[in-house]
Amino acid sequence: MKRNLTQALETWIQQGCRAIGQIHITPLPNGGYELRHAEDSERHDLVTYHRPSDARALSFFDDSNAYRPLKTAPTLRHGWSLTLQNATELRHALDYFYPAMTAIWLSYLEGELRLVPLRETLERQTGMYAMAKRLQDEEGQQLVGWHCVLGKCMKRTLWDFAPGQPLNVLAPEARTLPDGATKLGFREIPLICQEACNHLVPACRETVKAREKAATAQNTATT
Amino acid sequence: MLHKPHSALIIVGHGSTLNPDSSAPTFDHAEVILQQGFFKEIHCAFWKEEPSLRQVLHMVDSDDVYIVTNFISEGYFTRTVIPRELELDGEITQRNGRTLKYCEPVGNHTRMTELLLKRAAEVAPGVDPAATSLLIVGHGTNLNDNSAFAAKREVERIREMGVYGEVLNTYMEEAPLVSEWDTCTSQPNVVVVPFFIADGLHSYQDIPVLLGIEQDTGLAASQRDIFRQNPYSLRGKTLYYASAIGTEPLFSELILDQVALFDARHAQNEVTTTSHSTTSL
Repeated sequence: MKRNLTQALETWIQQGCRAIGQIHITPLPNGGYELRHAEDSERHDLVTYHRPSDARALSFFDDSNAYRPLKTAPTLRHGWSLTLQNATELRHALDYFYPAMTAIWLSYLEGELRLVPLRETLERQTGMYAMAKRLQDEEGQQLVGWHCVLGKCMKRTLWDFAPGQPLNVLAPEARTLPDGATKLGFREIPLICQEACNHLVPACRETVKAREKAATAQNTATT
Repeated sequence: MLHKPHSALIIVGHGSTLNPDSSAPTFDHAEVILQQGFFKEIHCAFWKEEPSLRQVLHMVDSDDVYIVTNFISEGYFTRTVIPRELELDGEITQRNGRTLKYCEPVGNHTRMTELLLKRAAEVAPGVDPAATSLLIVGHGTNLNDNSAFAAKREVERIREMGVYGEVLNTYMEEAPLVSEWDTCTSQPNVVVVPFFIADGLHSYQDIPVLLGIEQDTGLAASQRDIFRQNPYSLRGKTLYYASAIGTEPLFSELILDQVALFDARHAQNEVTTTSHSTTSL
């Protein structure tokens, strides 16, 4: 059967799904959908928007108008309501709010999501990031424990540090799916991290760079 | 007219974790193409933003996928990083029942020259080109990047047209430096067009400081209340500073053209292959 993410999204909502990340999804009687920050459920003073592309500006800046380079950070702007006409528009808008997250959830459910260990991601780096290959195990575990906590990124980190070597610093709730996530009629689309992102890989590089710079300085001082 | 009702288009940009405007032109061009309805689906992907190059293929429903890089030139990213991250085998990759078609970067298009001229004329309306020095400013010093080569190629093309009093390459970090725009030019008017994809860190925040029209890098374009006003009377000349060339709306046409050119090139290859096969028979 051909993959159809729009249809899958529509079905999930028909079966009871009402949330993704910090967004509450309300299906409307006319077949449309309304999105808003889950914490704005009781508010009546929201600014209303009607185009899927409005989600772009809403997703890019937090309440203090600071840039949100990581869309799954728990810093979604408040005070808006976005009304969409159909599931196609809903998919489009959610791809701005939580890029690729509905698609990755579908891949997960269909057994097509490959989880890539951090070591594999680092090993294929070239150019300025090639030095990240020299990251030590303990450094890597600490970095994941610092960057991938749910308070900074709401994605569940499902990859291992290396094959047969799990993440051992990150709390269990940050590296497993929520209870009942895959049960029929799940209420929330989980945010999944299938591979280290463009925030963690540069952090690995910086760690190696700092260690090697310090070692060089120490060697120079010794000689 | 391009018509791909069963195909997906992925537009790949660089993006930034620091500047919110770096990805803006890529998203803008994607929205324009989406409204035109030529493709079944359109997605963006970025090296430094989301969706990432590792995520984007999950977003695609179609089996026929065109990938166009919204980069100013061919180079390290288009030849090494993007194919590696998307696990491409070459121009055509067959994987899991899908065909991934890797097109030429937008900056390779021959219409870049036309777009640069259009932008230069728009930023200085009514100004005599013969009394104007046109500066195309690039980054420079990118070890594996051909953007400086591409910028030189464009300058040579525009210079040969003989429209502007003077046409020069300048760079942020190597000579001729854009910060010396007044001393390296001979004409009373100077038009500066950034050879960049977006009004991001370099073209919106760094170059204005180098030109002397801003004291410090300040906020990103989208976080400012007031936008800049041309012209600037500075250092005894009249200076016009344009937006990055990649923000030109016609870039969406170039993206579509790269798809059409890909098809034409491969149709030609098929004809050649068939013809050779026939001959060998």
